[in-house]
Amino acid sequence: MIELFYESGTLVASGDRPPEPFVWDKRTRQWRAPASAYRQSVLALRESDTPHEDHAARFEKLSLESRISMEPRPYQREALAAWRRNGLRGVVVLPTGAGKTAVAVNAMERLGRSTLVVVPTLALLKQWYSVLSDAFGGSATIGLLGGGYHEITPLTVTTYDSAYIHAERYGNLFALVVYDEVHHLPAEKYAVIPQMLISPYTLGLTATPERPDGGHALLPELVGKVIYRRSAEDLAGSYLAPYELVRIPVELTAHERFEYAQADAVYRDFLRKHQLRMRSPEDWQRFILVASTSHSGGREALLAARRRREIQNLAMRKGVTLENLLKKHWDDRCIVFTKSVEEVYALSQRFLIPGITYETPARERKEILDRFREGRYRAIIASDVLNEGVDVPDAGVAIILAGSASHREYVQRLGRILRPRDGKRAVLYELVTTATGEEFTSRRRREVFA
Amino acid sequence: MLRSEHVMARIFRGNLIPHRLPPEDGRAVEVAETLCELYAVHVGRERSSLEEEIVRAEEELGPRLDPRRGFRIVRALAKLLEERAEWVSPTTADPYTIRTRIFELASSLPELPAAEPGLLDTASRDDILSQVARETGLENPASLMYADRQSAQLLGEFYKPAPQELIGRYNVAQTQGVLYSARDLVVDLDGRADARLVFHYVKLLGLIYRLQTTETGYRLYLDGPLSIFGGTRKYGLRLAKFLPGLLLTEGWELSADVIWKGRETRLEMDSETCGLLSHYAGPKEAGEEEEVREAFQRAWERAKETGGWRLETGSYILPLPELKTALVPDFMLEHTETGERVYLEILGFWSERHLIERVSLLREAAKRGYRVLVAASEKLGTSPDSLSEAAQGPAVVFKGRLNPNAVLEKLDAVQDSSRATAQ
Repeated sequence: MIELFYESGTLVASGDRPPEPFVWDKRTRQWRAPASAYRQSVLALRESDTPHEDHAARFEKLSLESRISMEPRPYQREALAAWRRNGLRGVVVLPTGAGKTAVAVNAMERLGRSTLVVVPTLALLKQWYSVLSDAFGGSATIGLLGGGYHEITPLTVTTYDSAYIHAERYGNLFALVVYDEVHHLPAEKYAVIPQMLISPYTLGLTATPERPDGGHALLPELVGKVIYRRSAEDLAGSYLAPYELVRIPVELTAHERFEYAQADAVYRDFLRKHQLRMRSPEDWQRFILVASTSHSGGREALLAARRRREIQNLAMRKGVTLENLLKKHWDDRCIVFTKSVEEVYALSQRFLIPGITYETPARERKEILDRFREGRYRAIIASDVLNEGVDVPDAGVAIILAGSASHREYVQRLGRILRPRDGKRAVLYELVTTATGEEFTSRRRREVFA
Repeated sequence: MLRSEHVMARIFRGNLIPHRLPPEDGRAVEVAETLCELYAVHVGRERSSLEEEIVRAEEELGPRLDPRRGFRIVRALAKLLEERAEWVSPTTADPYTIRTRIFELASSLPELPAAEPGLLDTASRDDILSQVARETGLENPASLMYADRQSAQLLGEFYKPAPQELIGRYNVAQTQGVLYSARDLVVDLDGRADARLVFHYVKLLGLIYRLQTTETGYRLYLDGPLSIFGGTRKYGLRLAKFLPGLLLTEGWELSADVIWKGRETRLEMDSETCGLLSHYAGPKEAGEEEEVREAFQRAWERAKETGGWRLETGSYILPLPELKTALVPDFMLEHTETGERVYLEILGFWSERHLIERVSLLREAAKRGYRVLVAASEKLGTSPDSLSEAAQGPAVVFKGRLNPNAVLEKLDAVQDSSRATAQ
């Protein structure tokens, strides 16, 4: 007779000698295995007809019926079939905007067991909360763990960071784990998460499984191998909508230009004098360090640098241009992206349109996006939170105000408005202040399309 | 506790030396003082403006304190002060309701609300805001739209430390910080160490220990459940939280292998030279129990006849690995001729939960063949028989003070019973 227990991210067995990979833990005088050995161990015990009692698993059966009628697209159906064939384990690779979430919702509905969804950011945490509430809110309560929430239910969404800390307390409650943006999982820190979960079923989702550090080689062990893969090219045309890119240069006003030129001169002069470059955030720190310890002109250079940045960010005409675009597209569901959270709140107060940032509570975020979707809100302003896989369906127009120069970020943002919408051509505006450092940022960002 | 990005250390001959601020360094004290003052005068003001001032302090004070690390030192000090701050909401109105109403009104207009009232008949931003002001009775709804943001919170209370206290806290926090990336911790305890306190924190933090006896006492290896499947840094945070617990006692040495910036290094410290002070209050027992213990020890020393029994006062650890803790009795009594050992555990005036837990440890120790004599004050309201049964061992109930004679009487009984079982 063997009895299995779950204990702090591990499986503990008492009674007869349990099968591999259990080892004798001399510290506590018990047989112990990582929680991830659950599936393998139980199958081995069943196959060998070994009498055993399972006190570890506390899965729940759920009758989940999605309230959103979603006819899966053919490739989503193929992905699900491949997942089933592989014993309900594995990674599905689909491009941004192809509906990875829908694949997971479908998998959860078919399986009907308690499920944990693990996501990289608080924005995605809130996004999944919203999707799962829409789909299963009628038959289940959705739990949240992370970002100030600590509510565990049979359908819980958590972040990689929170899972790392708390998985050992709840690792026996979930039969299925969905890892969104699963390329985060092989990081040294996060790779311990699957070890602490007994979940026999796993589903990984990503657009880009490959990691520069080669960590993707660990994926088969952590979640299962890649079982289905389609690229953006495979799906282009039929599923992803075309878009139009409009770049609007915004000039400074005469006064701003004057002030900017002055500040810029002081700042550049200081850089030259001290032979400083300015290519990375570290260079910026170095500049502050030199400026704040320098006796001649350091303080002035610091102030000039700050003023220079302020003008760049708060250029008057940018505000006016934005106002014009909002007016023009008042009926077209418009999303404004900004670089900073503070800018979101300033613009929200100025134009009286709802803002979304990582600070926005999950329920309010869902409410705003729902109303936006229904057309009750005409426009929303968001900071970086709408990046990486966050779903904003049906936006006709996107306006970027000074995003940061990251290729990946830019592509993923574009992905947001590339959602299919019948006959709708999406427009992406990019507002860039000319004669300031932002021009360079914008050029770098576009190289991806070159 | 600090964030990892504020943790600093250097490597010297393979030894990892966490960053320290010398408490006697005038500049460090000045920076600490300035930051404390910054918080203190900020009571009643917004978080966002305090943050701006901290950024300024970072840029101005930081480099003067230390050209390379000044930024992070200032940021780390501020982080520790944050733990002593309480923030409150600036309004009793509900900002969520206010803004939602504003957005709804604005969105229901056929055009974007005009920035300024114009000649045309379209509604302006001001029209919407004054309508909401009428509905809610608030004077300036626009300013309250996002009053529930963290940055809008006001500093309600701040428990201002002395600058030296802040620096002391910083030094502990830096050492805790390097432990974040430790896989395990080795702690040597000698006779002066309060092992009961140590196990209190081992248990509290869910650590797993292995125990070895050494020439001078005990060696503890601390890690977590998953550690046997290859080292993990997952328990580093708990080891870091364990440190201030250990700092409450003396007579210890610790060492940890830490991967620091890709290099294998070693952190070593001991209670004599570490110069760190704990900020933990420690478990709440002690007090009256301590008095009983001391009174008993004095009475024993005065007693003329102790039947060949010798009282040992050092920490004796009876490991109970399956329960992830250990029993650390108050005294050990050794018979000078037979070498027989009986442990003496005095029960304090604890909560019922605490008491049940302690009695279950006694029972487990008895199962493992340790002979433990339990002494409890009659204030606990228990009879010797029921106590003896619960703890599976001999029990004494005393009034006021624990009398050595009462203990000796029971010791004979213990001996007799063990002889009886031996025969």
